[in-house]
Amino acid sequence: MAEVMLRGVAKSFGQTRAIEGLDLTIADGEFVVLLGPTGAGKTTTLRLVAGLERPDAGRVLIGGEDVTLAPPSARDVTFVFQQYSLYPHLSVYENLAFPLRSPARRMGKDEIKRRVEATAKLVRIDHKLESRATRLSGGEMQRVAIGRALVRQPAIYLMDEPLSSLDAKLRAEMRLELKRIQQELGATLLYVTHDQIEAMTMADRIGILKDGELIQIGTPRKIYTEPRNTHVATRLGQPAINLLPQGLLPDAGLPAGTKTVGARTEHLRIEKSANGQADGVVDWIEHLGDQNHLHVKLGDRKLITLSPPDTPLAPGDKVMIRYNNPLCFDADGNWLGGRAQ
Amino acid sequence: MLKTPRRLAKKVEGLSDRAVAWLFIAPTMALLLAINIFPLFWAIGLSFTNYRANRPNEAIANVGLRNYERILTDPDIWIAMQTTANFVFWTIALQTVIGFGLAFLIDRKFRGHAFWTTIILVPMMLSPAVVGNFWRFLYQPQIGLFNYIVSFFTGIPPSSFEMLGSVQLAPWAIIIVDTWMWTPYVMLICLAGLRSIPDYIYEAAEVDRASPWRQFWSITLPMALPFIMLAVLFRGIENFKMFDMVNLLTGGGPGSTTEVASITLKREAFEKWRTGYSSAFAIILFVAVFGLANIYVKALNRVKQR
Repeated sequence: MAEVMLRGVAKSFGQTRAIEGLDLTIADGEFVVLLGPTGAGKTTTLRLVAGLERPDAGRVLIGGEDVTLAPPSARDVTFVFQQYSLYPHLSVYENLAFPLRSPARRMGKDEIKRRVEATAKLVRIDHKLESRATRLSGGEMQRVAIGRALVRQPAIYLMDEPLSSLDAKLRAEMRLELKRIQQELGATLLYVTHDQIEAMTMADRIGILKDGELIQIGTPRKIYTEPRNTHVATRLGQPAINLLPQGLLPDAGLPAGTKTVGARTEHLRIEKSANGQADGVVDWIEHLGDQNHLHVKLGDRKLITLSPPDTPLAPGDKVMIRYNNPLCFDADGNWLGGRAQ
Repeated sequence: MLKTPRRLAKKVEGLSDRAVAWLFIAPTMALLLAINIFPLFWAIGLSFTNYRANRPNEAIANVGLRNYERILTDPDIWIAMQTTANFVFWTIALQTVIGFGLAFLIDRKFRGHAFWTTIILVPMMLSPAVVGNFWRFLYQPQIGLFNYIVSFFTGIPPSSFEMLGSVQLAPWAIIIVDTWMWTPYVMLICLAGLRSIPDYIYEAAEVDRASPWRQFWSITLPMALPFIMLAVLFRGIENFKMFDMVNLLTGGGPGSTTEVASITLKREAFEKWRTGYSSAFAIILFVAVFGLANIYVKALNRVKQR
């Protein structure tokens, strides 16, 4: 395990700029998740660390050593691809043993067997060691792919949306598994996803990428409560944060310069209006079982928030809405710091 | 939209979809029956008789399995079969190795690879009759380009050897021509196989520190194998019944050194006019190819399912 650093890294594909001036340090033993939409440069960042792409500018350091020009085999990394990148004609055992059989390692047969079996147990595929890779289900294939990365102890594990092809239940399980495995091994891990739940639950730090630039990096809590701008704020939270223009609701006491108010469920107090005075009308209620999504119409705007399953509100009800320490952004969408009131 | 002419519309009216479908495939079916299926059964019938096509008025006797018996015990037939096997083996071996090698090189996607692919494919587009004829000229000892090039590189005088006239060289002359003509075909199929291997498998292997040598043996070859086997199947069937090129180049000679099974068949059928006998031989060849191809396809399916 080692510290990994990207310094001023840039990469373009033809006219398309994939990464621009990226500075990123992943500490030894840290789990960093890069979060962003498709085309934000997440995968390119991973491939640059792996050596599958060469940067146009900047440097890549692994364990203090400059590996900017080194091929993937010379870097001590493992990579889990988004696709099931198994060797299709080999058994699960042979797939897991493949990285260990590299002549550069000169690992003994018994040692390989021990490591493969331990890893198979870790990713819960030990009952299928003799199966052919192509005979597995999607979830099993991806567990083998993850296992093939874990079978070595590299400087850093790189994972490109490894869970996106799994069904919801398995994804939830694997999320916990991966975090457990990472903590057990004390592994350094750079993980790419567009799923905010994966980012929130597994990351030590989340990096928000947009159009090839790292907008903000920090602990999940910090990114959630202190987003640098409206873009970061919309990446996290379910339902998505409501961005309302200043003045739409009574908002005395907000910092000067506030142009946009960001309100998540916890930033809003909603009550049925008693005296005929109202800020909005309940449009409809989505019942999700354990909770409801409350859609409220504010003139020509709409606001979506969570409400308890036993909410007394019904569509058509007039409601009073008050802010409770919302996030405030200036005209450029930048967070104004501190909290209101 | 064009409206269907009323007269046609009236005729088609009342026909069910199924009837229309039958109407469309009927010409093909009729043709297939007339020139493929019917002759096959006719030949099976003839193979049990002593019929001779050049004496249509003679009485035809049923000889039972005598034709088959005589073919399978005839040493000349077995020599022809051996010649065929030799030819098939060497052409397939050479074409597979060279074809796969070329595909491997072309797959690198260097500058102008599309141009070179087209150039390499040219021999395949020619008619075997044309190829046979101009290779006869190329093999000419005095004026032929082939002998000239060989002598240029080795110093052997060009008129000191005859590719088509020598007992030792004639089989190789034919193998060279077939390889020249059909290697591009094998290359094309292998290329399709290589292109079907996704890049990320190689990237995974690279991250896993597999050497190019190991990547070739554990990814490229196994994943392209079904395609290679398919190419071998096509070439094998094709060359088992090889006739036109051999007939043009050597006509089976010198002596019977290049007399492959189909040349023997032609001699029996249209020089000796032993129609019943040659029908039986044709049936035996057919069953042999059919059987071998079936065994091979089973193996191919096993490889594909891995």
